[in-house]
Amino acid sequence: MSKLLLIDDEDGIRKVLSISLKSDGYDVATAASGQQGIDLFQKEFFPIVLTDIKMPGMDGIEVLRRIKEINPEVEVIVITGHGDMESAIQSLHLGASDFLTKPVSDQLLSIALKRAEERLKTKKTLNNYANDLWNMVKEKTKEIKRRYEFEDKLVQRSIDGIVATDKEENIIIFNSAAEEMFGYTVNEAKSDMNAGNFYPEGISQRISDIFAGKDLDASDIFVGDEASVTAKSGEAVPVRFSCAMLYEGDKPIGSVGFFQDLRKIKHLEKELIKSERLAAIGQTVAGLAHGVKNILNGLKGGLYIVNTALKNGAVGLAAENKKIDYSMTSTLPFQARSLKRIIDNNETERQQKKLKTGWEMVERNIHKVSDLVLDLLSYSKEREPEYEKYNPNIIADEVCDLMESKAKEYDIDLIRDIDREMGEIYLDPKGMHSCLLNLVSNAIDACVFDLDTQKHWHVKVMTRRKNESGVAFEVVDNGCGMDEETQSKIFAEFFSTKGTRGTGLGLLVTQKIIKEHGGTMDVASQPGKGTIFTIRLPGKKV
Amino acid sequence: MAKKVLIVDDDVDVRTFVSSVVEDIGYKPELAKDGEDGIGKVKEEKPALIILDILMPKESGIKMYRALKTDSQFSDIPVIVHSGIAKRTFLRSQKALDEFGDQPVPEPEAYLEKPVEPEELGAMIKKFLS
Repeated sequence: MSKLLLIDDEDGIRKVLSISLKSDGYDVATAASGQQGIDLFQKEFFPIVLTDIKMPGMDGIEVLRRIKEINPEVEVIVITGHGDMESAIQSLHLGASDFLTKPVSDQLLSIALKRAEERLKTKKTLNNYANDLWNMVKEKTKEIKRRYEFEDKLVQRSIDGIVATDKEENIIIFNSAAEEMFGYTVNEAKSDMNAGNFYPEGISQRISDIFAGKDLDASDIFVGDEASVTAKSGEAVPVRFSCAMLYEGDKPIGSVGFFQDLRKIKHLEKELIKSERLAAIGQTVAGLAHGVKNILNGLKGGLYIVNTALKNGAVGLAAENKKIDYSMTSTLPFQARSLKRIIDNNETERQQKKLKTGWEMVERNIHKVSDLVLDLLSYSKEREPEYEKYNPNIIADEVCDLMESKAKEYDIDLIRDIDREMGEIYLDPKGMHSCLLNLVSNAIDACVFDLDTQKHWHVKVMTRRKNESGVAFEVVDNGCGMDEETQSKIFAEFFSTKGTRGTGLGLLVTQKIIKEHGGTMDVASQPGKGTIFTIRLPGKKV
Repeated sequence: MAKKVLIVDDDVDVRTFVSSVVEDIGYKPELAKDGEDGIGKVKEEKPALIILDILMPKESGIKMYRALKTDSQFSDIPVIVHSGIAKRTFLRSQKALDEFGDQPVPEPEAYLEKPVEPEELGAMIKKFLS
């Protein structure tokens, strides 16, 4: 049942209207004056107030004003005297819902009340809607806040430094990784700094151009460039930098930069290189030790044979023998005396032969040491090649002359295929000589090692002018060739297929010298068929 | 006549050294520079002892050892393996070959890892021949 407050100074009207209203189903309270009505209203809430205008003391207009002050939602219906249009209009201005003219007809009252009720209902519904809306807004706001906080945390917790700007290039995001990387606090960054302080130079200029609408065709995204940024301390920090423009529609509204701190990675890279170098040294030393050990065994064996020969020959020797080969003993003068004692003995012949064998063994191994040391030196030494004008053909001819006798010894044809139009180029004659000698001697070995005795072996040394500035050497053999595994290892340190005869450094040295010339070396080989080594030099024609 | 000792090694220094030791203790050295050559010399010279290197071109040390030990004609000739590789490695490689279906072969009568002192080598040779 709706509550209703009826204010009227006339006793009769209060009574009549109360009865009528009660019969319409209202819970009616009455007041005899404006002040009384207001007092009652302040104690109790009435959704509908019915008030007379003309009352002594506080009139209906004032009542209306007060009530609307207390609760603007209340439906106030004013009752005016006949023809008092002015009061009616004034009351409507003040927010009265309706007005009735005296004498109040039941029908009109009922209609006015019905309308008031409808309005109350509508208001209530609206209120509910408003409340629902409000709650929804509250809920959504909370969710947005949660999302914002989540994204903020995402930005803050990022390992990469994140810096974002608005279109004036003011800093609006500066996360903790950025603080740490650049050494500025977020407040410093936001208050006095802009994109130019943080973005790498070229990029910050391009971004300014994009904001200014100048460089619209330029790429607006920069991914993963390595760059260097300067921290507050002045330290240059190596970073991997990515950057993107931010748009609203097609209008640029900001930019965001991501900085990956590379200091740790750079540090690790250095460590890795260091440890790789150490490993390489370890390998080199192991290979070297192995090589030296083999040679040492040879020396020891030779020494044993020499010593035995000397000891055996020394028994019962008297006279001297002029046939003694002093050239052989010149390097070991302290043993020359015992040598002399050997000679006269009847067993001399045999012991001398043995001495010679042992001594040859010592010599052979001394050669091996010197080969190894020379190879090692030219491999490890940072030697600047000595370039001069030189005809590559001279080198090819020299090497062929040098190897001719060895080739003949093994029945190998050494073929020269020389480009006589060669001319001179700048090269390091000593270096190239040792390269070519190495390749030719390898080629001869490949024929010597070949098991197919039906073959007629040959080694061909070729020189060609390739173009204005380049020359090529080619060494071709039809010897044993190499399988793929061997080919993959030929440039490994101390790798040799020649057992104790090779140092395992020859091709390495050759390759190093060719690289110093800015040239390349290629190899093509087939097991059983042979091998082709090609050296290409970019030497300038003189 | 002095007993013959066959020395099979691809390294000329080793052949020279070992043959000198053999000679010094009164035996006659015969030389072969790889496994193929070695088998030929075994047939020709009928040595009383074989000193055999393992790592030679074409794995012929391993092959030659198996050939000797699986042929009843030669399996009684004692073999001293004289090699740069460890005995364990050698035995493992032989065992692997056994597993591949080859006939199992016995361990060599003696195993010397390079480098070996002349006295030690001499004593070992004498042990088999006297």
